[in-house]
Amino acid sequence: MSDTLSLNPRESRLDWLMLVALGALMLIGVAFVYSATMASDTVRVLPLLNQPWIRQLIWFAVGLGAATCIVLVDYHTLSRWSLVFYWATTLLLVLVLIPHIGSMRFGARRWIDLGPFSLQPSEFAKLSLIFLLSHFLSRPVDELRQPKLFFTALGLAALPFILILKEPDLGSALTLFPIALVMLFVAGVPPRYLWRVVFGATVVISLVLGDILFASEKWQFIKLESYQKRRLQVYFGLDFAPPNATEEEQRAARVEQRKHTYNVEQALISVGSGGLMGKGWRQGTQNALGYLPRAVAHNDFIFSVIAEETGFVGSLTVIGLYTVVLFCGLRVAGQARDRLGKLLAVGVVTLLFSHVFVNIGMNIRLMPVTGIPLPLLSYGGSSVLCSLVAAGILQNVHLHRRYY
Amino acid sequence: MLVVDQLKKSDTRLRVLALGVLGGLLLLAGGLWFHQVIASRRYVERLNSQSFRTIRVPAIRGKILDRNGIVLAENRASYNVNLYLNDLRPSFRKKYDDLLQRQLAAGAVSPGAKTPAVRLSTQQQNELNLAARYLAVDDIVKQVSRLTGEPLQLDAAKLATHYEKRRALPMTLTAGLSMEQIAVFQEKSVAAPGLALETQAVRYYPRKSVAAHVLGFLQRDDSSGEDEDTDFNYRLPDFRGQVGIEAAFDDPLRGVAGRRALLVNNFGYRQGEFNWGEPEPGRNIVLTLDAALQADVERALAGNGANTRGSAIVMDANNGDVFALASAPTYDLNQSVGGFSTGVWEQLSDEHLKPMLNRAVKATYSPGSTFKIITGLAALEAGLDPKEIFHGEGRYVVTGHTIKDTAGAGDFNFKKAFIKSSNAYFVHQGLRVGLERITELGARLHLGEPTKLPLYSESAGLLPTPAYYKRRSGGHAPGDVANVSIGQGELSVTPMQMAVMTAAIANGGKVFWPRIVERIEPQEDQVQQRPQLLPAGRLRDELHVSQRSLDIMRDAMYGDVEDPEASAYRAFHPNGRAALPGVRIGGKTGTAQVQDTHNHVTDWNTWFVSFAPMEKHVYVVTVMIESGGSGGTTCAPIARQIYEAIQKFEQRPVRPRGGQLAEVGR
Repeated sequence: MSDTLSLNPRESRLDWLMLVALGALMLIGVAFVYSATMASDTVRVLPLLNQPWIRQLIWFAVGLGAATCIVLVDYHTLSRWSLVFYWATTLLLVLVLIPHIGSMRFGARRWIDLGPFSLQPSEFAKLSLIFLLSHFLSRPVDELRQPKLFFTALGLAALPFILILKEPDLGSALTLFPIALVMLFVAGVPPRYLWRVVFGATVVISLVLGDILFASEKWQFIKLESYQKRRLQVYFGLDFAPPNATEEEQRAARVEQRKHTYNVEQALISVGSGGLMGKGWRQGTQNALGYLPRAVAHNDFIFSVIAEETGFVGSLTVIGLYTVVLFCGLRVAGQARDRLGKLLAVGVVTLLFSHVFVNIGMNIRLMPVTGIPLPLLSYGGSSVLCSLVAAGILQNVHLHRRYY
Repeated sequence: MLVVDQLKKSDTRLRVLALGVLGGLLLLAGGLWFHQVIASRRYVERLNSQSFRTIRVPAIRGKILDRNGIVLAENRASYNVNLYLNDLRPSFRKKYDDLLQRQLAAGAVSPGAKTPAVRLSTQQQNELNLAARYLAVDDIVKQVSRLTGEPLQLDAAKLATHYEKRRALPMTLTAGLSMEQIAVFQEKSVAAPGLALETQAVRYYPRKSVAAHVLGFLQRDDSSGEDEDTDFNYRLPDFRGQVGIEAAFDDPLRGVAGRRALLVNNFGYRQGEFNWGEPEPGRNIVLTLDAALQADVERALAGNGANTRGSAIVMDANNGDVFALASAPTYDLNQSVGGFSTGVWEQLSDEHLKPMLNRAVKATYSPGSTFKIITGLAALEAGLDPKEIFHGEGRYVVTGHTIKDTAGAGDFNFKKAFIKSSNAYFVHQGLRVGLERITELGARLHLGEPTKLPLYSESAGLLPTPAYYKRRSGGHAPGDVANVSIGQGELSVTPMQMAVMTAAIANGGKVFWPRIVERIEPQEDQVQQRPQLLPAGRLRDELHVSQRSLDIMRDAMYGDVEDPEASAYRAFHPNGRAALPGVRIGGKTGTAQVQDTHNHVTDWNTWFVSFAPMEKHVYVVTVMIESGGSGGTTCAPIARQIYEAIQKFEQRPVRPRGGQLAEVGR
């Protein structure tokens, strides 16, 4: 289809539908970062340039600039640099683990502090993995039947996975997996390989979860940070108190449980109390009164602020906008002129989708709590930059579809 | 599936991916539908319960007024200095930082080694926070203490409790400020944040001890009324009547409590306030009492001596309205506001004086000779010829027991026997007519039953009927009948019952329910409510005694005051001249023996029951004094003073009644 369409000179070179949806998401993002942060007195008195919504706008501008650069350079040219990108981000991932370079926040080393702003290398690692994998997998389908190739591809994904896990950032690390799997799948790797991987992963994950959640101290082979274990326990609705706990321990466990379920509970109350129509912009109380912790309301939990203030109608609008973006991306993949472009688009779509699914899912207790941002809505430079660059890649593939 | 169709048909893998993405998004939408539409109400409830604290706000209590609208109980503003903790959060923080620096410098706490920023254990933080809060509040308490000149001490435990339990509410630092303190406070507005001068309504009895036993007092009680919601987080101080009118009419006086809601943040500090229901002010109770007459009656009682124990009642014989009801000793009701102090409470619970006892309705006594009115009436009804002469011997022997007769030996007709109060004569007549007929009359007067005055404390007394003796010991002996005939023995009455009895004689045989509350009025600004009248002159029973007997009895009673030989004569005729010219008073004195369990006489209670038709009303005045000398010498002079006060009362203009009245039966 696209080959015939692309000959039409009036056919737009950019995917405008996707751009409109992205623009709408950015507007919503700024509006609700404003709503989520301006309830705090300490934020209100900040100089304008330090106010989160302004900073978010600046990041949008930076991101749009970066995206434009991406669009201007043919993705074939870009993909030639993919190995460089990959090793550069790998280096950053290593650097962030070094105490005086990576800065510690909330018990994890995920950021590189660059003075006025800080970067989260794991976000860029996802993009560079997409580039490298599409470059690596865009070879004749027959070659993909070689197990060696398959395992090399998995290995490429495993390196950043392990480094990100070290930060520790289990959530971000785990999103690399669906990206790699989906790209392998679409690239044409024989399904039996994938099934084995999925099966193996399921077994391993079940064993790991079982070990983490149920095994006694002595049998715990996998050492997770205690908060990670707690989050998993919360997600699976498990009691914190060990079965043979004394009354004292049970009480302490209950207190701890309340502390750890708190964010999830409050996010659910925000979302649920929004009802059908919501309470109106800046009228939500969960965030204003601090029940939804201020530290996460504007980034990881921005969706619950939107859901509280705009209700089901607003939530559905947001999901609708993401649907438009994702399906435009899929269309881009379908219309791509070559497998490189298609794989790039598929990788980006999977990246965006897993972020949307995990983030919104954690607001409604569908997924465990992780630090995965909601693309273009969550406050945060790295996330915004990556999301816009990702969108730029899609546009790039779209733009160059006609040069068959 | 617009987009999916646009995908190359052959590219199944991409289509699978598209379906997967679509499925995921639909799953999210479905989850949101569940939480935001189906289960939304549950979350709204949880939101409200975590972010609102409801407060029960008591209504302004109604006033208690006398028949002319003179205020006997009302409310006045008490000024409190309150502290709002949420405004202190910056200073809590500052104190915390100061303390931390100082402790770090002193090496008392050591920061965790992991990071340059100071990390303390939760317990260390809690302790520091507690200390910081104490220091911050203590600073303010010291300022307030300096300003008010009142030595205030901040109680650490109290602050901690308030912080834990009532964080959203202001903490009262000092209550009941004087006018000077208020002026100082308003003039030099204190620099500290969170301080507020606020008023609280407290009960006030402007006439102090006047009608104390009728009015009753309040006690702190924050429980909810019957039809009220009970799920409040906080309750502002409320009070419930414990006794008297305050207790009996607690519901209308209290009104309906309001409901306020505080919006609180995740720390429990208040962020806003909402009104979820205005309190409905309580209604006023208008009594039948006359405040001035009441005060005069109390003065007359107290005039007998500082530790007089007794009571006096002034009642309208024609409808049972109580104009005055006094009990001595009495006490200043304002002492009850905010709770009796220990010293006052000790005085009030004196075993002998019992100042809180309402002797007019709660205490029971032998009526003594005043009961000869009933015995006499019963005998007259049975056909006694009042002219018939009975020879008394100065004593009367009933089945071996001798009853003394202070009237002495001699010949008595009815009137002479009555005014000399001959025991022999009335024992004789009582035995003649029999217990049944005497107690039949007593039963029609409803002796032995409460008069149902709404004072929340009343005794029934005891009318020993033949059935009573039958129950107790198989039947009554002549000695029992003799005792009842002269108002002794098991027979016991309250002064109020004697007043009702006297009224029945005076009004021609009507036994009324006494009335002390005239109406329930809405507060001045509550125009939409109608006042409720409690009907006067509710007939309880008829005496069913012939006019002849009543006339003879009244004549005898007039004689008890007017005959120079009579026991009450001297009290009403000081220096041989009538103290109240133009007023005819009929009465009967009584001096009842108080016996211990071994039938030894330990004391005398003295009585004077009387009536007097005057210009506006026929009055009944009943005076009862414990440990008096005799009815004639102790009670009759008090009654005389009361009649003098009634003369003033008669001359006072009557308050015009306004508004439409709705009658209610009670």
